[in-house]
Amino acid sequence: MTRISTSWRSRAGAFANGLLTVPALAVYAGLLVVPVGFAVYYSFTDYNGFPSQTPTWVGLDNYERIAQDPIGDLHPSIWVTVAIAIVGTLLVNAAALGLALLLRRTTPFNTVARVVMFYPHVLSALIVGFLWQAILGPQGAVNNVLEGGGQSTLPFLADPQWALATLIGVIVWAQFGVQLVLYLAGLQAVSPQLQESARIDGANGGQVFRHVTWPALAPTVTVTLVTTVLSLLKVYDVVLGLTNGGPGDATQNWAYEILAVSFANNDIGLACAQAVLLVLVAGLLSFTIIALRRRAEEGAEAIG
Amino acid sequence: MLVNITDNLTQEKWEALVAPFEEETGIDVEIEGPTGQSVAESFPALLASGTAPDVIQSIFPSEDTAPEILDLTDYEWAAGTPMSDLYSTDGKINVVGVGMQAQSLLYYNADLFEQAGIAEPPRTWAELDAALAALDEAGVATPIAFAADWATGVQAQQLWHPQQNLTTPGWQQSVADGSSTLGEQFEPLFEHLASWIDAGYTTADDVATDSGTQEANFIAGDVGIYPMGSWFSTTLAASPPDFEVGVAAAPVDDAADYPGPMGATMAYPYMVWNGTEKADDATALVEYLVTDEAAIATQAEMDHFTREGTDTSSNEYASLVQEVTDKAPSLAVPGNQTVGDHALPVAGFNPKFTELVQGLWQGAEPADVAADLTAWYDAESAG
Repeated sequence: MTRISTSWRSRAGAFANGLLTVPALAVYAGLLVVPVGFAVYYSFTDYNGFPSQTPTWVGLDNYERIAQDPIGDLHPSIWVTVAIAIVGTLLVNAAALGLALLLRRTTPFNTVARVVMFYPHVLSALIVGFLWQAILGPQGAVNNVLEGGGQSTLPFLADPQWALATLIGVIVWAQFGVQLVLYLAGLQAVSPQLQESARIDGANGGQVFRHVTWPALAPTVTVTLVTTVLSLLKVYDVVLGLTNGGPGDATQNWAYEILAVSFANNDIGLACAQAVLLVLVAGLLSFTIIALRRRAEEGAEAIG
Repeated sequence: MLVNITDNLTQEKWEALVAPFEEETGIDVEIEGPTGQSVAESFPALLASGTAPDVIQSIFPSEDTAPEILDLTDYEWAAGTPMSDLYSTDGKINVVGVGMQAQSLLYYNADLFEQAGIAEPPRTWAELDAALAALDEAGVATPIAFAADWATGVQAQQLWHPQQNLTTPGWQQSVADGSSTLGEQFEPLFEHLASWIDAGYTTADDVATDSGTQEANFIAGDVGIYPMGSWFSTTLAASPPDFEVGVAAAPVDDAADYPGPMGATMAYPYMVWNGTEKADDATALVEYLVTDEAAIATQAEMDHFTREGTDTSSNEYASLVQEVTDKAPSLAVPGNQTVGDHALPVAGFNPKFTELVQGLWQGAEPADVAADLTAWYDAESAG
């Protein structure tokens, strides 16, 4: 009798625990699985998104259009996206890690400096774009100063290559604050005893960083790399505010093509196909980074 | 009512505009600004979610949205509204407005013209080339100003409307039926623009400078010629320059044809959502907005437009525009027209045109830009 009662209680407990996950599951399914499911479905249709049109099944037509790129606008946007993702990820992480090392000690100055460094991330990305346009535009603050000093102006936003470089720089400025916080948190977890031991053994600052701090930061580096790549792959607001994709199509990235071109032209099928590919690439890149970083993280665990 | 809210057209002004209608009819009008960047961006999202407003202002129906818009053809007042014929499809009217906004205008600094020895505003493309050369020679910083984003494409088209519509009247239909291509239509314009860029009359900085800044440059006296629509006269009236401003129609090839057809768009377009439960109230409001004399006068104060009988005496620049448009032999709708028999059967013309034409400032060849434009049209029209 006692055994039956225990078993019943155990099953009832499991059922109750299962019930507790239902709200989270419902939110997850409602806000993620269902919309993504619709996006995947629409990606195989010709649809303008309006009630008067029923989505028409077109199979792989939207994906073929992306592959063939008859107008020659989608493939260049891939290269812009790749440039932003690779160069941006390197710069964001270099800036964030470098500043985290400088600001790791808790002093009044460092506390203020951390807030200042994080501040760009608090601003709306669209406002960041407009702000830097006012600073770096042909008649912006920087060029006015140059002109006032008798120097020739610089084509930050007027030349295609300069505009892309400027865009990456502004994105880095707007995004590195979060990674800085992650690196600061990661540095707090690095064992001071190990660093001290290394110094006692005669290691200089560079050697301590290379052989103790950097390996111990491996899990943090993995997180910052993944989050940076994901946010840079889908960056849109800064592009809109700073260059609006120009000059010409020089700074049109994949997200811009989805939101400002395909969706704007009510080409929902093509936009969804582009979005599905972006989700796949983002997922693939995330898993690849995590897999590649596994060995480094195992090393960190060994140190820890 | 979903309306355009901008510097000129504020929420307060819209509310004041509809207040007499509310008082007279007892119908409550709720003014709503766009949730996105613009009405054009917000309306499709509202339609898709089934929460579209009863009346939509500032945008036109497109091939995609037309089935969602109420047919106004049976309302007697609709046929009498300005430009309703140019915006109708097979005689069916689904958008009405209060007037016309002229597109093909050259605002020029008459003082700089005098300094450069230019006696008369240019009537032909050759005279325009000569005027720009003279302004350049006289040391004018920017003989002709173009601006970034949407403005580059719009300004280029504004310059070209008169000659384009002389060469190929109803050119959109020629492109649609395959007897012409977009590239053929615009390549001569691209050659003119490329020659100005080569000569340094306009630089890559221009197409990275927003239109507000370029307008300020013109008002500051740094610009010889600024191609822009009639709405610029409202800006000029708000910040009058300390030099004499002239307004001329965009040029044509042969002086005998001057002035050519005037590029024009419907001012204050209104349309009614056909899913509305208050169709009678919505159409009554639109009728009031496009036919009531006081409402029309209020809208003219908010943003300039041309309409027979409109008093422009309070705005000297609007009077100049009115003089030019009165002389135009006909009106021609632009390439980004999205509704009616003169609409190109593709979406997104202006953004793509702007993107491609900006390539000229980056050294692209006119023939290549024209070929890209044709390729884009072919791909889009093929679906």
